[in-house]
Amino acid sequence: MGFRLGAEEVVVNGPKVAFKIFGLNVTETVILSWVVMAVIIGLVLFMTHNMSKDHPSKKQIVAEWIVETVNGMVRDAMGAKNLVYAPYMATIFSFSIFGSLISVLGLRPVTGDFSVTLTWALMTFFMIQYAKIKNDGVLGYIVGFSKPIALLTPINIISELATPVSMSIRHFGNVASGIVITQLLYFALTSLSRGLGMEAFPVFTIGVPAVLSVYFDLFTGFMQAFIFTMLTMANVGAAYPEEEQTAG
Amino acid sequence: MEFLSFLSIDYGTIILVLINTLILFLVIKHFLFGRVNAIIESRQADVSKTYEEADKSMTHAKELEANYNELLASAKDESAEIVKKATKKAQDRSDEIISSAKAEASGIITRANEDIEREKQRAMSEMKNEISGIAMMMAEKIIKKEINQKDHEALINDFIENVGDEVWQQK
Repeated sequence: MGFRLGAEEVVVNGPKVAFKIFGLNVTETVILSWVVMAVIIGLVLFMTHNMSKDHPSKKQIVAEWIVETVNGMVRDAMGAKNLVYAPYMATIFSFSIFGSLISVLGLRPVTGDFSVTLTWALMTFFMIQYAKIKNDGVLGYIVGFSKPIALLTPINIISELATPVSMSIRHFGNVASGIVITQLLYFALTSLSRGLGMEAFPVFTIGVPAVLSVYFDLFTGFMQAFIFTMLTMANVGAAYPEEEQTAG
Repeated sequence: MEFLSFLSIDYGTIILVLINTLILFLVIKHFLFGRVNAIIESRQADVSKTYEEADKSMTHAKELEANYNELLASAKDESAEIVKKATKKAQDRSDEIISSAKAEASGIITRANEDIEREKQRAMSEMKNEISGIAMMMAEKIIKKEINQKDHEALINDFIENVGDEVWQQK
């Protein structure tokens, strides 16, 4: 993807292909996702190491707070019978937020790759379908598409497919726009430095991007992780509601 | 260097990210949620056990209290019984003492009456003898003649016999 600024073109690339294995591309995204995984797994193992029932350490209190919070959110959004989804929600949330926050270190955010958010959205999509089949039975699931009237069947199918598309594009778009704007800003600031005769040392690239990074990396990263997780919870929870809610 | 296009769908990435997500899910499920939930559950079990024990102690205390009250009541009954028994015993004893004293007193009175009676008899027979003597003397003087003491003594004695009894007492 290229932007033309005056006589020069700024190129914003997709993820770099590091190597290939069995014909599959192992991209920058995948390698960074391994880093993110290592960080999360390390944190999890650190927090849950040597846990004590009676005298919890600070890290154990943090671990308990995380688990209790996620359990509470899942219970509120999906009902107590869907509590099994809590670890998955924690996985998606932590993977997403660390995958976005990695850009603070100047690395390419994992969530800035459409393949990643599409993968997660497809997982959500299949979870929704599974929950619907579990709730209505196979026949009820198929018949469910022609409700309330048969005329709406195509629209129901489209809206079902729209869920993963909108979720994945929303998350990708927000993070990717951060990448693009940051690159454009770097280019602009470098040009400004060059214009003032400081080509060897582009002074404006220090400090100024950090302010934008607070919004694009921290705020957007957190917001999108939260939105993606909440949407997953809401959609899967709605597909497999509590009995009282079905009756009411 | 090969770059993918900015907006691309790459099957390699999808498959590898799917695997990564599943691995991370298993780690978080087992090591974070599994461990923490186990700790929380065991803590809740502890708490409910503590409550149970407290309830048990409470029940036990109430039982003890009931036992104690029962014992106290029975002790009260027992003490009342003891007091009653002692009172009865004392009553019996005092009755016994009183009755024996009465018997003794009546014995004393009887004896005294007998003594009095005896004394009376003695005094009366003495008086009779004296009176018969005096009567003899008086008769001797009055009739101024020798009286055959032997002939008249019986007559006089008969008179005095009568005098000592009802005839005198009626006067």
